[in-house]
This record gives sequence, C-alpha cells and structure tokens, in this order.
Amino acid sequence: MKKKLKIDDNIFRLIIILVVFLLIAGITKGNSFLKVSIFQTMGRQMAEYGLMAVGCGICMISGGIDLSCVYVANLCGISAALLMQKNENAILPAILLAIVIGAACGAFNGFLISYLRIPPMLATLGSYQLFQGISVVISNGSTVSGAPEKYTDFGMKTVAGIPAAFLVFVLIIIIMSVVMGKTKFGARVFLVGTNAKCATFAGIKNKSIIIKTYMISGIVSGCAGLLSLARINSAKADFGTSYTMQCILIAVLGGVNPNGGFGTIPGIAIAVLILQVLSSYLNTFPDVSNYYRDCIWGIALIGVLILNHVINKKKSDKLAKMGS
Amino acid sequence: MKKQMNKVLRQTEFWVFLIIIFLALIIQARSGAFFANNNIVDIMRSMICPSLYAVCALLAFVSTGPDVSFPLVAALSSYLAITISIKINYDGPWFVVYLIGMFFGALMGALNGFIIVKYKFPSLIVTLGTSSLFSGILLGTFEAARMDLPATLQRFAELSLLTVKNEKTGLGSTLPMPFLILVAVYIAAYLVLNYTMVGRGVYAIGGDEISAERAGFNVKKIRFGIFVVNGMIASIAGLCYAVMSMRYLPNEYAGGEMVVIAAIILGGTRMTGGIGTLKGCILGTLLLTMVTNSLILVGISVYWQKVFIGAIIIIGTAIPAIQSIFGKNKGKKVKGGEAA
Amino acid sequence: MENILSVKGIKKSFGGVHALKGVDLTIRKGETHCLAGENGCGKSTIIKVISGFYKPDGGTIKVDGRDYPVMTPADAIKAGVQVIYQDFSIFPNLTVIENLAFNQVLANGKKFVNKKEFRKIAEEAVAKINFNVDMDALVETLPVADKQLIAISRALLDNAKLIIMDEPTTALTKKEVKRLFEIIADLKKNGITILFVSHKLDEVFEISDSITILRSGENVISCPASEMTEEKFAYYMTGRHFDNQELADNKKRTYGEEVLSVENLSAPGFEDISFKLHKGEILGVTGQLGSGRTELSLSLFGLNRPTAGRIMVEGKEAKLTDVSKAEELGIALVPEDRLTEGLFLPQSIIKNITVTRFDALAGRLGFIREDSLVEESAKWVKELGVATKNHEFPVQTLSGGNQQKVVLAKWLANNPKILILNGPTVGVDIGAKYDIHKLLHKLAADGMAIIVVSDDTAEVIATCDSAIVMHDGRITGILEKEDLTEAKLAEAAI
Repeated sequence: MKKKLKIDDNIFRLIIILVVFLLIAGITKGNSFLKVSIFQTMGRQMAEYGLMAVGCGICMISGGIDLSCVYVANLCGISAALLMQKNENAILPAILLAIVIGAACGAFNGFLISYLRIPPMLATLGSYQLFQGISVVISNGSTVSGAPEKYTDFGMKTVAGIPAAFLVFVLIIIIMSVVMGKTKFGARVFLVGTNAKCATFAGIKNKSIIIKTYMISGIVSGCAGLLSLARINSAKADFGTSYTMQCILIAVLGGVNPNGGFGTIPGIAIAVLILQVLSSYLNTFPDVSNYYRDCIWGIALIGVLILNHVINKKKSDKLAKMGS
Repeated sequence: MKKQMNKVLRQTEFWVFLIIIFLALIIQARSGAFFANNNIVDIMRSMICPSLYAVCALLAFVSTGPDVSFPLVAALSSYLAITISIKINYDGPWFVVYLIGMFFGALMGALNGFIIVKYKFPSLIVTLGTSSLFSGILLGTFEAARMDLPATLQRFAELSLLTVKNEKTGLGSTLPMPFLILVAVYIAAYLVLNYTMVGRGVYAIGGDEISAERAGFNVKKIRFGIFVVNGMIASIAGLCYAVMSMRYLPNEYAGGEMVVIAAIILGGTRMTGGIGTLKGCILGTLLLTMVTNSLILVGISVYWQKVFIGAIIIIGTAIPAIQSIFGKNKGKKVKGGEAA
Repeated sequence: MENILSVKGIKKSFGGVHALKGVDLTIRKGETHCLAGENGCGKSTIIKVISGFYKPDGGTIKVDGRDYPVMTPADAIKAGVQVIYQDFSIFPNLTVIENLAFNQVLANGKKFVNKKEFRKIAEEAVAKINFNVDMDALVETLPVADKQLIAISRALLDNAKLIIMDEPTTALTKKEVKRLFEIIADLKKNGITILFVSHKLDEVFEISDSITILRSGENVISCPASEMTEEKFAYYMTGRHFDNQELADNKKRTYGEEVLSVENLSAPGFEDISFKLHKGEILGVTGQLGSGRTELSLSLFGLNRPTAGRIMVEGKEAKLTDVSKAEELGIALVPEDRLTEGLFLPQSIIKNITVTRFDALAGRLGFIREDSLVEESAKWVKELGVATKNHEFPVQTLSGGNQQKVVLAKWLANNPKILILNGPTVGVDIGAKYDIHKLLHKLAADGMAIIVVSDDTAEVIATCDSAIVMHDGRITGILEKEDLTEAKLAEAAI
C-alpha cells in the first residue's frame, strides 16, 4: 500500500499564507527585508512567544486554557537569573531550576483543574496572579539581570547563521509534534479535550493526562523564560503581559479549536512564523508604528476564524449528504 | 419564612458578603484604620471603574461567554471622545463628551456583536481579536499619548461628591462625581434586567438559547444589543477613569479584564451562563478591591498583593468543588465521570 | 367525526436529501394518535412542518377545517397547535413562573415585567392539570417529570387544540409515566387531541387510539390501534420480519466457570447486592429509573466506589478504584448515555473504536503507528456491520444504531471477559436492535459473560437467561429461565 504523506488541510492553508507573505515582503522591500540579520532577529524573538503559544495551545487541545504561560516564563527566568547572578558555574543548575519550577507551576495548574475541578480559565487566572506575586517578591519588584556572559552569549550564538534560540525552538516543536501526534499520550490529550466524560468511560486517566499537559506547558514556558533571559539579559515580574493574549491568538490562528480536541503543533509553529514575518515586515517601514502589529493580529485572527468556518461548513454539508 | 432563609443561605452572594465583613473586621482589628472615613472613601473610589466593567462582564457571561475587550473599548472610545472635544473646542456640559464616547463605544460593541452573532464564534476569541484590533488602532493609527482633558471634563473632575479627612492620620480622600454615574448605571441595569422583557431575555438566552428562540425572544437582536450596550458602558468607564486621573492615560487601560472576570465569578456569576446578579458584581469587586487597597493597612507589603489576589481567586473558585467532594457523595444520584 | 388535522402529500428536502416524499397524516378530534417510525423516517420533520417550523416543498395543511397555504410558527400557535419537544424548551436558570409566563407575555408583545401578572398567568397554567409546584423555584432544581409538566401546562395556556409530544416518556420513571398518561386521559376528556411520537410498543398500545407508521419519508400504514399487533408493528417499522421466538429458543443453557461474584455489595445508590455470573451467561439487571441498576453497573466498572461488600473477579477480590483497573480485569461497560458518555462525536470512527487499544498497540515510548489503528478499526467496522462509507468520518455522521455499534466495537476490541451494557438499544431502530441482540447471543455462545442492564422488559426477555430485579436500591426478585416472563418481572419490580 502506497504511503501518502497526509498534510492537514489547515496546515497547508497556513503554509500558503506564509509563502504569500514572504513573497510580498521580499518583493516590496527586497533588500531591506531579505537580510540575514532580520531573519536572525526574527528567529530569536519568535522562539519565546512561539514556545508559550505551544504550551497554551496544548492546554487548549486538552479542553482547557493556560493564561499563566507568560508569568511562569517570567518566574523561571527570574529564578534562573538570581541563581546565576552569584555564580558563573551555576548555569546548568539554573537551567535545571527553571525547568523544575516550570514543571511545578504546571503541575499546580493541573492539580487545580483536575482535582479541585476549577474551570481552567479561572484556575490559571488565579495561579498567574500567584506566580506573578511570587516573582515580585523574590525579585523585590525590580528587574533581575547580571547573568554570566557565557549564558548571554548563547542568546547571540548562531549555528551556520541560524540563531541557536531558533534551533531550540525548532527542536521543541519537533518533539512536541511527535508527542502529540504519534504517541498514545498525545492521542489521549485530544480525546480528553473532545469529551472528558467519555474519556473517563473509555478508561483514560483524565487527571493524569491533564496534569501532564499543564506540566508540559509549564516546562516550555520555562524554556521561553530562559531564552528571553539569554537574549536580553534581564527578567521582570511583569514582562510581556500582553503576550498572553497573543499566545492564544497564535494558537487559534494555528488551527487549535478553542473548544478542545483539535489542533496541530506544526500549525502553531507556522502561525508564529507568519506573525513574526508580518511583524518584522512592519519594522522595515520606519514610519509605521509597531502597534499596528496588534491591529493586524486582531484582523488576522478573525479573518482566519471566518475562513475556517466557511470551509468547514462546506465540508460538513458535503458529509451530511454522503453519510446519511 | 424558613424557605426565604434557606434561599438566602444558598446564594453565593450571601457568603461573599460574610467573607467581606469578616475580612473588614480583621483588618480593622489589626490596624484600626479600616473603617476610617478616608479608607472607606478610598475603597469606594477605587471601585468605580472595576464595578462598571463588571456590568459589561456580567451581561456577556450571563448571555454568551467571556468578553475581554471592554478595557480597550474604554481606552479607544474615551480617546476619541476627548480628542474630538478638544479639536472642536467643545465647552458645553460634560455629559456630551460622555455621549460622544458612548457613540464610539457602541460602534465597537457592534463589531463584537456582529461577528459573534453572525458566525457564532466563541466570544472569548472574538473579543480577544477585537481587543487587539482596538489596541492597534489606538496606539498605532492614532499614536495616542497622554493628554490633558478638555476644559469641561477638567471642571467635572474637580467637582467632588464628598470630601473627608481622617483626623487621626491627616489623610484625606474625595469621592468624585463618577460615583454618581456608577450608581446611575447600576440602577438602570437593575431596572432593565429585572423589569423589562429584554432584560429577562438576557437571562433566558443564557439559560437555553433554543428555548428562548422558541418562546419568542429575538435571540440575535438581544445578543447584538448586549455587546452594543457593553461598548457603551465600557466607554463610560473609560471616561470616568480619565476624569478620576485628571488626565487621559492611554496605557493604563489594558490588562484589567481578568481581575474583573475573577470578581464577578467570586460574586456568583456562573461561567456556563444564565446565572449572575448585579449585587454579586459589587460584592466580588468590593472583595478584590478591599484586598488590593487595605492589605497595606495590615502591614502586608504591596509586593504580596498579587499573591493574595491569586490565592483568593483559587480558594474562592475551589470551594464549590471541595464542597461537592466532601458533601454530596451520599446522594443516590451518582455521576459517572467528571470533566478532568 | 371531524378531523383536527389533515395534511396531504407533504414533501420536504434538505440539500439532496428527501426527508419527506409525500406524507399524509389525518388526526381525528379528541383522539390520541401515535406517530411511529425508525430514526430518519421523517417523523420529526413532519412535526416541524405541522408546527410551522419548516416550510414544506409541496402538499397541503388543514387545521380544524381551515387551509393553511403558508404556516408560520405563530400561525400554528394561533391555530391551537402546540409542540412539546424532548428537551421541554425550558429555562433551567429561571423560575417556574417565568418559564410558564414568558411565551404568552412575548406573544402579546409586552415589553415590561409585571410580576403580579406573571404569577396570575402561571397559576392559571398549573391549575389546568392540577400541578402543585413551588412557583418561585428555579426550574433546574426540579425533577425531570416536573419539567415536563411545566411544558404541558404552558402549552395548555394557549388554548391548545392539538398537543404534539415528542418521545414524552424517555426520561420518566414508571410512576411518572403513569401520571403523564392520566393527564393525557384528562386532556382527552376536555376534547384536546394528542399526537405523540414514540417507538415504545407498550405505551403505543396502552394509550393510542390510532397509529401512523412512517418509513423513509413515506407512509406505511395508518390504522386504529386495535388492528395492530406487535409483530405487524415491527414489520411496518422496518420492512423486516423478526423472529424473537427464535432468539428466545436459542438461549444457551450451559455455562462455564464462575467469572464474577458480587457479594453483599453496597455503594451510593444501592445496598446489599449479591449475584454470580458465569462464562457464557447473559444476566439481566432490571428495574425502573431510580432502582439503582445504573449505579450498580458503574460500581462494577470502577466509577462508583463501594462502601461495603466485595467484588470477586475469577476468584480474586477486585478493588475497582478506577476504570483502568476494571479494564485490566477484563470488564467493559457500554454506558447508558451514548452521546455524552460513549462517543467522541466530532472525532473519527477510527479514534472512537481504537481508544481502548492504545496501550496494546503502542510500542516503546508510547509510539503508535497510524496504520495499526486504521487496521483495527476496519476490522471491527466489518465485523459489526457499521454502515459507513469511510471510517475516517466523524462518528456523529452515523445513525443511532450504528453509533451504538461503534461503542460496542470499542469494547469488543479489547476482548473483555465481562461485558456490561446499560440500555444497549435506547434510541436504536428496531433493525439495529435485533442485530445487537443477536450479537450478544453470539458473544455469549463464544464464552463471554454478559450483563444487560435495561428497563425494557422485552429486551431482557429476548436476551437474558436470568435476571435480577431491583427496586429502591435492593434486589426484589431473581428470575431464572422459565420464570423470566413479563408478568413475573412486573410483579417483582414493585
């Protein structure tokens, strides 16, 4: 039997949109856009909120949402920075610390949602205040910096011209795609997000799946915090508060169904790419303010929702005629 | 009589009220300054904008779902109202500026309403998108910056309903006119929600949309209207905030939506819709405002505020869950599987 | 005798699907008329046409002697036609008063709330059927039967001449069904005509004067109830003859060793239940709603922790703390509510069937190959005869009977030793019902131990070798082999 490489319709559409935007950017801004340095900056910035979008996206697939991604990232970044401040040799332990804290925050979220049955939106709303509060306390309300040079060098490092941070991002994307798409854990996350009750009746251990899902979100958010620290050598309790909404936007743009049960990791990655290309493209127009990015993201989100809606309706109409 | 008592006891609002009293007494005991006149007025003052936002959140949650765009609707509509007033050298009564703001708020709300009604997308995602859009327009297209208020609002801002001075500490506090606006909005909301069929329709749609359609409610019109009204109330809140700050500050608006949502949920509004009261909004907002304002009286540094708010939200939302784990398992009806 | 309703030649299509191909329906004034048919026969479509919800593509509608070339929902209500849907069209978050009064208030174009007037309307409504209820209670706190009575009272407010009820007894206990039938009899005395949709044989025969059966959008027969028999009914509904006697005669009488022993088991919902189950045996657990039978099935599956007693599986005590423990021991449950508990509706048939096989089919590190899932699913689709063009389609595109087959496949794929089914053929057409019963017999013949939990006594008799009867959480009767009859079952249930 011939093995067909099945590409999800949605991913295909996103790739087309990405290519179109790259073409437009390349043609209209030619030299000033198609510079290696621009792509490198894009690669670095994108890694951070791309990772958080993946975390948030996975939680949405499981039928919930994670509003605390940004604050977990900040908390992990601050903790790592504090540890590394004193001691240059503490880089590895600091990274490990960040990941452990991320996992712990995620597990806490998962516990609130699965054992205490708090609706995910509220649980992560409460927990993000908590995490932000803890960040404020341990950082004394100020910016933490002073990470050792070895660490911040990583932020600028490139491998064959590709920023190391971007490679980390790609690596995590690949791992998560495989986990979500090809393992029994991933399959179960989709099912819990579709119908938690039926998942219980089918023998799926919902509580365990939910806790693991939110732990993954916490860990990737922690990685985002680490990358951010490497890039700008500072960590703050209230850094990137607007990123939360952007992450949700990116996830939905990338094909994650806000009601749960559907979505792909590659889709999220491409959505991040698209938005970053747009953002950097705007940057090449010195007169156009950065704030327009928000405008475009808002329009893009609603536009894609409408597009998906129209296409899905056509599909289900066809199915209804066939299946009955 | 017993039936009435039982009904009151079962309401979430009642328990929140008790918690508020309890907290107030504790803070008073430890600091002696809670019931001081300036503190009370401070709290009332701080509650004005969040309480107005709370009405927006309530209407949306009860009938449809989360609306997170109200802070940006507030920011953009008040920007437009203030800028236009300044440009045309407007010097008439202050409420006309509010009317201009409400006009723009209604337009923005209409955009939300249109997309949500026509395509039936989740309101959280749509309002997330429009919120981004409005932010981009405000800060990108208009490049909004800090502005002074037009003269008429300046005069309005200097009026005060009530000024008190704490004799012991010498600290004073004023209750500005926007408090009256808050009261007016709540009275209007109360009357409409409880005494008109459109208002009951808001609850009916949230209870069962199909039944509402069958009963004769015009579901589409009512839902659209709700978002338009939300836009108008948000714009009122936006202008009140500018008035209370004595200047227009574009960057101060964003980010307030989550705490408002937490407040109304603590006050008894159900996430799934259909249930929620105005008094619950006030109580929930009061609780969270008290925590923010008065913790410092007990010697807890401002740094710990967020931790406390987070803890209260988590505990507040976990209580119903814990109740059901401990209490209800004796009943005959057993649910097969819970979500998560 | 005059006719309250006369529709002729009604045609209705959706897209390319012909839901109604020219249906006639005539109902005499004051009679109780039953409309029956399998899923998809067109009965809900014809009701929506009569009530003005759908515009027919052809045909005529006459209500109480008057022609309606165009019928809108408002016209229908004015003509005295009221529909009570299966979900009762209530507002769970509002009070009884508001639920009763809103329709009329809105119809009269009132814009303001007058609490006194609302209360008057509400009291008038419940008086019509002598319904005592706390007017200020939120409807969500009331039992299902009361919700239905609210719907009926509301319908009567509008001077209904013809009340259409869609599957009215689905969620009611036997006592509540009896009360409903008394109310229907009362309504009849007052000259109100009732059209109800049902597929439950015993009810159809108990209260209807005439029966109309539809199949695939066309009339099959309309006749007085007295001329209908059980066999004819099944034949007209499906076009197939069923030999239930054949099923009954073919029941296995010899069993293998004991595979399950329940000893003095108590849990929320039931007390002190004991029975034994052997390989190859089909045991029935029956009783009305509220008898504890569902709670018992959940306890055997790890979803209702026992407070006393023990469960022995193959001689060893089993602590069923969650579903996966039950699964490990070879126990499977086909749950009561297929749509919310048994299926991931928007997901593919493949995913729905293979969900229980992830552990088995996964390699190291938890990786699963897509084609192993496809293979497994295809096998079961074929084995159980699930009618679908492509098993990658979402399971919600299937009919009720086929959906139930998917739920069954999900568990059969795991080769369980003990298969428990709760309400296995609820909402399933007669054809698929028969197929499922035959399948159960085959599985038992191959050595599976089966428990059928059902309130459908006919089903219990057709499939089970013996049955325990429950009432109020306790066993009130154990009937074996020849004793398993309708009469004895009814006796023991009370």
